[in-house]
Amino acid sequence: MDRRDFLKILGITSGTMMVSSCGVDKASEKIIPYVIPPDEDVYPGNPLFLNTTCTECPANCGMQVEINEKVYHDVRSLYPTKLEGIEGHPLNEGTLCMRGQAGLFRLYSPDRIQRTMMRHDQGNFRVATWKEALTRIEEGLNRAKQDGKKNAYFSGRTTGSLSELIDRFCRNKDIERLPEFEVFSYANIKRANEMVFRRPQIPKYHIEKADFLLTIGADIFETHISPVSHSWRFARARKNENFSWYHVEPNLSLTGVQATRRLSLRPRSEMVLLTFLLQTVLEQNERKNNPGITIVRSLPNYPLDEVSSLTGISETDLRSLATSFGNAKKPLVIAGGVSTAHQLGLEVAVLTSLLQWIMAMTDELVDFSQAESYESIGTFKDVESLNEQLDQNTMGVLFISRMDPVSMLPAVFKFSRQIKKAQLTVGLSDHMNDTVRECDVILPLSHSLESWGDSQPCRGLTNVIQPAIDPQYDTRSEGDILLQLLNNESTYKNFLFEKWNKNYGDAGTKEMLKTGYRSDPVPKVMVSFNTLAVSSFVRHMEKPNFNYGVVLCLSPSIRSYDGRSRDLKLMQEIPDPLSTISYGGWISISPLTAEYFRLKDRDEVELTAQEFSLKLPVKVQKHLSDNVVMVQRDLIPVPLTAVDHRSGEASWYVPNISLQKTGVVLPVPILSGSMEENHRGILPPDDDHGHRHDDEEHPRWYPEHEHKDYRWGMAIDLESCIGCNACTAACYVENNIPLVGLKEHLNGREMSWIRIQPYYDANDNFEFVPMMCQQCDNAPCEPVCPVYASYHNPEGLNVQVYNRCVGTRYCSNNCPYKVRRFNWFDHRLVEPLDKMYNPAISVRGRGIMEKCTFCIQRIRAAKDHAKDENRLVQDGEIIPACAQTCPTEAITFGNMKDTESRVYQLAQSERAYHALEELGTEPAVNYLGKRGNNHEA
Amino acid sequence: MKKGIAPAIIILYIFSFMVFVSLIGYFWQQNRKTPKQPINFSHQLHVSRVGLACTHCHYSVEKSPAAGIPPVQTCMNCHQAVATDRPEIKKLTQYWEEKIPIPWKRVYVLPVRNYVYFSHKRHIKGGLQCVNCHGNVEVMPVIKQVPELEMGWCVSCHRVKNAPVDCATCHK
Repeated sequence: MDRRDFLKILGITSGTMMVSSCGVDKASEKIIPYVIPPDEDVYPGNPLFLNTTCTECPANCGMQVEINEKVYHDVRSLYPTKLEGIEGHPLNEGTLCMRGQAGLFRLYSPDRIQRTMMRHDQGNFRVATWKEALTRIEEGLNRAKQDGKKNAYFSGRTTGSLSELIDRFCRNKDIERLPEFEVFSYANIKRANEMVFRRPQIPKYHIEKADFLLTIGADIFETHISPVSHSWRFARARKNENFSWYHVEPNLSLTGVQATRRLSLRPRSEMVLLTFLLQTVLEQNERKNNPGITIVRSLPNYPLDEVSSLTGISETDLRSLATSFGNAKKPLVIAGGVSTAHQLGLEVAVLTSLLQWIMAMTDELVDFSQAESYESIGTFKDVESLNEQLDQNTMGVLFISRMDPVSMLPAVFKFSRQIKKAQLTVGLSDHMNDTVRECDVILPLSHSLESWGDSQPCRGLTNVIQPAIDPQYDTRSEGDILLQLLNNESTYKNFLFEKWNKNYGDAGTKEMLKTGYRSDPVPKVMVSFNTLAVSSFVRHMEKPNFNYGVVLCLSPSIRSYDGRSRDLKLMQEIPDPLSTISYGGWISISPLTAEYFRLKDRDEVELTAQEFSLKLPVKVQKHLSDNVVMVQRDLIPVPLTAVDHRSGEASWYVPNISLQKTGVVLPVPILSGSMEENHRGILPPDDDHGHRHDDEEHPRWYPEHEHKDYRWGMAIDLESCIGCNACTAACYVENNIPLVGLKEHLNGREMSWIRIQPYYDANDNFEFVPMMCQQCDNAPCEPVCPVYASYHNPEGLNVQVYNRCVGTRYCSNNCPYKVRRFNWFDHRLVEPLDKMYNPAISVRGRGIMEKCTFCIQRIRAAKDHAKDENRLVQDGEIIPACAQTCPTEAITFGNMKDTESRVYQLAQSERAYHALEELGTEPAVNYLGKRGNNHEA
Repeated sequence: MKKGIAPAIIILYIFSFMVFVSLIGYFWQQNRKTPKQPINFSHQLHVSRVGLACTHCHYSVEKSPAAGIPPVQTCMNCHQAVATDRPEIKKLTQYWEEKIPIPWKRVYVLPVRNYVYFSHKRHIKGGLQCVNCHGNVEVMPVIKQVPELEMGWCVSCHRVKNAPVDCATCHK
């Protein structure tokens, strides 16, 4: 062939190909109507709101669901796209923690069990219909009756109507309802309160009314009972200038680093500290409740130096603690968490209750009238007796509902083998977990956002659970399943409505459905002191022994609670606030321990205890005690720990462990760069005139911006920020931020628009700085964009126009705060998680730079609403996602041109400063530093 | 072969190819602007002859950013009794009985819809009439897209009417 012919053929074939591709019928976009429209005023583009309850942890905060109409896979329907707290709810006051914010990740999880399954004879699961499964259960119950076997119902914490229904079901079918199982059972606290006050309950702690708080081990912001509740109460208490807070703990927790003073204490020595406090305050105070005094006098008398050497706390600190405690008008002591979960934990709890009684805290601050509903929750002892029952092969049908004993109980229990000893095991769950995998019949549960129900987290409060979406798979709620097993024709919804109408009347029920909860007055409880029991207990108290070598502390985790929230993919994407590690496990050790073993971050270490050994990477954690190492309990198979048979509490410590460096270095995503602030200007400048240098004029290249009606600004109170990361989680859900995964985290490419940066300040204390786009007036990122995708809008925001961005990345290069996130890849959420995408905001593809926009979609919606009414936006109408969910109200947003607005007033405070002020970027975000010398001498 | 005929053939080929492709392009645009709908709904009939107002079916235009497409129930309100023998109505009834939403082909597609926010409510409240943007729908037997929905067209009208031209107004 010659050259010309070749070119002709080339031309014709390429031309034909192009022409032929034109003939392809490009599917044009469809527009899908409803068949039957929903009944209320539902308009596409306007969200609906529904009040229900969050069931991610037993705290059961009130939750408001934002439901948006959108078309998903050619079906137009309503989908919940955002979760918030209910304004004014007694538990959470309109805020939600990071696990609650990630609730949609459970609802739309691709790992949900979609249909009923039964194990057939060969041992594998096959899909079954509900009828088959329920029949199988009926047969199982009948067979158990014939064989004379016992049946049992084992569930996680259940309150409200479901609890009643389970009772009815168990009575009817001759099933023993076992005490509910929760890993955090607070067994020692309940037992102590039973002994001291004759009330085996957990009281409500009114932190907001206290002027002095002493927490012993209790991680009140992370998992202790009702963390969101404690957080907002703490924020209220802090408004009082005289408020001070001492936190004493053997490990290192997020709660502890927020306290005015955090004291590291030797594990098991809390009772010595409490004895010391009891005796010193008795000397200092006039307020004495008589029966307690004799008991206190009977306690062993430790001189100050002995207390100091036993607890590991310096004499100065002990004296200042005693003085502050003594001077307080309304002190409050809370013990819990790691300090009540060891061999002497019951002593700690009893002495705390005694202290509460003597200092008259039980009058107001320690409130048993609104006690938390933990009465039906059992302890480890109950699990042990279940184990024995199973060993004797007397178990007929075993129902396991809403919990995962196989992974929550120590691995040594081999619970997976134990439950097979029952004739028939029925697992009820929404996710496939280790327990359910061992069951014979799996009944998939609907998520709480798909079902009806109610709950009573504490006395006097009833929360409603109402569905925001129809069940997406062939799932049913537990109430419906039980009613069907009872051969009852009605649905659980009717059961509930009948009960509500009977108890609250028609109007009351309607009101309850509208607000999402109902508060009923409770009779005031006057606690009485059981002198006999306490004095007898105190007489038999043993002195603690400290021969435990290096001890492993299993700590609770704010990201996964006791491990249950690990199912939520978002919880692994957001780093742990103290160590800033996102994916994977780690072991925290003190700097001295690290030096001794010549370990640094990411080195692998082998941890050996009596019964097990593990390999984990190391993270060096300043302020952790030298003989304590910490691992979050859900990161490792649960080790067997000692059980205190007086109360049933299982210890959270493994004594006498040894560490050995293996020499391997593991890739661990530690997301913070450096925690040393080095006077860079991110934390408040600690010189005398440390506030803004308003007098310094920076040279300006460009003319001043003019703002007509609005100038959006933000004020962040660093004193209130507790580093809980609720804002981060809320931002992810509100703004369709992609989850990038471990590999990208190792490259430093996490996509969070707001992140909590931990630093050690000048006094070597932790400070958390929420960092997001500062919306600088003099933004370095604006002049460098070659396509003008990043510009300053007339309302003071730095706007990023996503579809104009070509991916030059010069803006991110120039940003001194490094808050601009680039989409290196397309990280679309895996189906069906993409149902949660917020339709008010785009989903960015790869090659696009994105960053915090101060929730411009909310600003737009509020301006739209205001324009309908022909007025300007009022202060408080626009709340960005981060500000809305912050339990301590650390973030305030508003119009800086409105001198009456809260944000303007906060920005005028003498604590206000800008981050990296000397660069002259003039951010719209004002940080309020911690009040001067916040630490007592 | 005569000298000069080979280049002439190539030029003729390229030229005809360009004409062909542009014809295809034109017809494809027409098809997109006037797509074939699953049911041959005539706005001319329903608006001019029957006298329905725009908001009778496009119910949310004053209340929300989207105008709203009528649910099948709205059609059946009349068509359970009216003209039930016509073939198009039979198609409609079948959709209704099987409870399947009618898969209309979208005519007004904003380019890059993911990134653009358009609020009908704001424009109606701003004083615009439906016909200002959508053209004389009442004389269209088959609905077609009248304006080119390009940003320039939007911005030019915004400039004239003193509406905001800030990027953040529309880009989300």
